[in-house]
Amino acid sequence: MRAYKAKGDVQAKPYYTDRYWVAPQVAKFDVESDEVFAKDLEVIKSKFDVLEAFIQVEQMTVFIKPEDNYRVLELLKNELEYTQLSEMSAIDFLETRDGFEVFYQMLSMNKRKRVRIKMFIKNGVAVNSVEKLFRSADWSEREMFDMFGIEANDHPFMKRILMPYDWQGYPLLKSYPLQGDEFASWYEVDKIFGKEAREEIGPEIRDTATIDRYDSERFARLGHEVPKGTKITGNEPKVTQSYQEDGGVFLIKKLDRDNSKVIDDPQR
Amino acid sequence: MAQHKINYTQNGGLPVALTSMDKVVNWGRSNSLWAMTYGLACCGIEMMAAGASRYDFDRFGTIFRASPRQSDVMIVAGTLTKKHSEFIKRLYDQMTEPRWVISMGSCANTGGMFNTYATVQGVDRIIPVDLYLPGCAPRPETLQYGVMLLQKKIRANKASRAQKPKRLM
Amino acid sequence: MAQIKNRLTPFFENITFDRDDNELVLNFGPQHPSAHGQLRLMLHLQQEQIVKAHPDVGYLHRGMEKMAENMIYNEFMPTTDRMDYIASSSNNYGFALAVEKLVGLEVPRRAKVIRMMLLEINRLMSHLFWLATTALDIGAMTVFLYAFREREYLMDIIEGYCGARLTHSAIRIGGVPLDIQDTFIDQLKNFLDNFPQAIKDYEDLLDKNRIWLMRMEEVGVISTEMALSWGCSGPMLRASGVAWDIRKDEPYELYDEVEFRVPWSDKGDNYARYRVYMEEMRESAKILYQTIDMYKKTQINNQTELMAHSPKYISAPKLDIMTQNYSLMQHFVLVTQGMRPPVGEVYIATESPKGELGYFINSQGGAYPYRLKIRAPSFWHTGILTDLLPGHYIPDVVSIIGTTNIVFGEVDR
Repeated sequence: MRAYKAKGDVQAKPYYTDRYWVAPQVAKFDVESDEVFAKDLEVIKSKFDVLEAFIQVEQMTVFIKPEDNYRVLELLKNELEYTQLSEMSAIDFLETRDGFEVFYQMLSMNKRKRVRIKMFIKNGVAVNSVEKLFRSADWSEREMFDMFGIEANDHPFMKRILMPYDWQGYPLLKSYPLQGDEFASWYEVDKIFGKEAREEIGPEIRDTATIDRYDSERFARLGHEVPKGTKITGNEPKVTQSYQEDGGVFLIKKLDRDNSKVIDDPQR
Repeated sequence: MAQHKINYTQNGGLPVALTSMDKVVNWGRSNSLWAMTYGLACCGIEMMAAGASRYDFDRFGTIFRASPRQSDVMIVAGTLTKKHSEFIKRLYDQMTEPRWVISMGSCANTGGMFNTYATVQGVDRIIPVDLYLPGCAPRPETLQYGVMLLQKKIRANKASRAQKPKRLM
Repeated sequence: MAQIKNRLTPFFENITFDRDDNELVLNFGPQHPSAHGQLRLMLHLQQEQIVKAHPDVGYLHRGMEKMAENMIYNEFMPTTDRMDYIASSSNNYGFALAVEKLVGLEVPRRAKVIRMMLLEINRLMSHLFWLATTALDIGAMTVFLYAFREREYLMDIIEGYCGARLTHSAIRIGGVPLDIQDTFIDQLKNFLDNFPQAIKDYEDLLDKNRIWLMRMEEVGVISTEMALSWGCSGPMLRASGVAWDIRKDEPYELYDEVEFRVPWSDKGDNYARYRVYMEEMRESAKILYQTIDMYKKTQINNQTELMAHSPKYISAPKLDIMTQNYSLMQHFVLVTQGMRPPVGEVYIATESPKGELGYFINSQGGAYPYRLKIRAPSFWHTGILTDLLPGHYIPDVVSIIGTTNIVFGEVDR
C-alpha cells in the first residue's frame, strides 16, 4: 500500500519529529512598553478595529480587518509618518485555517520605527490594492498574485510578474511541490519543440546523486570521458586532457614553465 | 613511400592540399573565437572578469560580441530559467554555422543547486552543448582553459562544409 | 543550412505596423549586454522619445523562497549567495542576522568585527563593479579595466579568507566560521593605502568628462516623493534627498562604534547617484581602517570566540566536537535535523550595497522556515523604471539602468 501523503502541504518534512516537543515562542511584548508604538496604536484604534497588537523583535505587529487595509495604510502614511511600504506579501495557511495572512511592512524614517500590518483573508477573497498610496505595491501585489493567486482589486495591471504569463499554478502555495508539477517539468520542451518531442528529449534528471556509468553526456565519467554517443564498455582507459596536441600547433606557442616568470605578489 | 597506389583525384581533390586547408581554416576559427555575451547570473560576472584587466581574454582572440550574428561561441553563463528558455533557443538559431556552445557553471550544466520548478535542468535540453565547465561559479581560469580545450576540439574537426551541423533532435 | 526544427514563431508580436499614433514598440532584452542581466523592457516610442515603459522581470526567477521552505536554516545560507552575486556576503549577513534575532543570539565581538570587514569589502567590490559596468555601458572602457583591477585585489583578500571569489558563504548563523588569515590585514592595508589614488583616477577620468556629464546630468531625475513611494533605498534614496542609511539610523553590528558620513544629494539624477557611489567608497575605506584597529584590539583583549555559544541552536567549536561527546551529539542533531527556532516572526533590514536588504521569516517552530520573504532592493529599483523612463530618449535608457544598479539574481530571486 502506498503511504498516504497530504495533498495540502507537499513541502519537505523533517524525517524525525519529537512527539513531546513544544516549540517556544518569540517573546511578545505589550505595545504599552514602547511610547511611539503606543501612540500610533491609539490613533489606529480610534478609527479602526484592531484584532491584536503586540511588539515582537522591536517591531509592532497590528492585526486589522481585511476590508480596512487601504484606509489603515492611508492613515499610517498621511498622519503617522510611515512613508515607505518596504515589503508586502502573503503567508499560506490554507491547510490549517483555509486562508492567507497578508502582511504590509511599513517604515517610518522620522521615527526610525517599523510596523507590520497584518490581516487574515479567506481563500478566494481579493484584497484591496494599495497601489494608489504606494507605487511599490504595484509590483508587490503582482508578485503576490503570481505566487499565491491572491488578486488585488483596482490594480491597474493584474498579471503575473515573475513567472511567464502562460504559467499554470501558483508556486508558493504549500500544495505546489518544490520541483514543480507536470506542466512545469515539460514547460520548455512543450513551448520550444512541441509535445511530440517529449519522448526524444526525455524527462528531467532531478536526482543530483544519479551516477550512470554508461552515460556519455553528463558528468558521471570524470577522467574517462568518451565522445558523445559512443558505446561504452566500462573499461575505458583514463584520459588526461591537455589543451594542445602533442605535435604542437601551427603558430601557437605552448607554455614553457621553465622560461615563464611567476609573480609572487599579486598586488605588486 | 606508400606501398599502395594513391588515387589523387578521388574525393574531389588532393588529400595533402585538403588537410593543410583544414589546418589553416581551423587555425583561423580557433584563434578568433568571438564569444556571445550570454551572462545570465553569477557566472556572467566571472565571464566579465575573464574579459577584464587581470585575465585578459583578448590574448586568446576571444572578443565579446553582443550580437548572435557576429559570434562563434555562445558562453551560457548562469542559470537558465524556464521563462528564459525560449530566448536562448531563438538566439542560438540566429548564430551562424559553425557555432559552438560552452555551458559555464553547474546551473547551466545540470540545473545545479536550483532543483526547483523554475529552472531548466541543464541547458543541453534546449541547445547542443560542446563543453561543460564545472564550478559554482567557475573561476575565470576555468573559462579560459575551457576555451583552449574548445580550440583543440575545433582543430581536431574537419573544416569542410560537409561537416554535419549539430542538432539536438 | 537546414533550419533546426522548433515551434517558436517569428517574433513580430511586439511590432505593430499600422498604428494611428505613430508609436513604435521596441523590445529591449531579456538578453542585452547593457541590461545588467536579464531585464526585458517594452518601450513605446514616439520617434526617439519613450512614452511608455513596461519592464518585464522574472527571467532569473529560480524559486529561492520556495527552496527556503524546503531546507533547514543553515542549508539555505549558500543559496543566499546567489541573490546579489556581486556582494554575496551582505546577503549571507542579512539572513544570518534575521535568524539570530529570531532565536535571540549574541554574536561574539571578534566575529562582529570580521563580519563588518567582510561587509565593507563586499560593498567596495559591489560599488567598483557598478562603476565598471556603468562606465562600460556609457563607453568608458578604461574605467572598466581600472575598476576591475582594484576589484581583483579585493577578491584576492576574500579568496584568502573563504576560498571563493564570488560566492563566499563566509558568514554563518551565529558568527563566522574562521578567523581571518595572517596576511589579511597586511593585504587590506596595502589595498586601502592605494585606494584613494585609484578613486582619484576614476574621478579624473569621469568627473569633468563632457560625454559622461551629458549622459549623466539631469538624466533620470527621481524626486523624493517618487523614491519613497516606490520603496527605493540605499544610494537610490540618498541621491534623491533622503539621508537614510540603516547602518547609521538603525545600527546593527558595531556600526554605532565607527565613524563615517552618509553621503547624500538632493539632485536625484544619474550624476548624483554616481557621486553618492563614489563617496560611499571613500566612507567604506574609512570604516575598513577602523575595523582593522578594532580587530587588533580584540587580539589584545584576547577575545578569540568566533561563534555564539548556544547549544540549542549553534554547534560547538570544532575542538569541542572532536573531544567532547555531548558536543558531538549536539552537532550531529543540528546538522541532520537543523535548529528549531521559536514560533514567531521577524523582519530584519540591513544596508546591502544596493539598498535595504530585508529578510522576513515566519517560523512555526519547525526546522524549516514556514515562510521566508526576501525584500531585495533591486526589485523596486527595477519597478521605478516604469515611471522613470517615459520622457527620456533611447540612449538615456542605458545610463538610467546603469545607475539604478540592479542585479537580477536579487530582483527575481
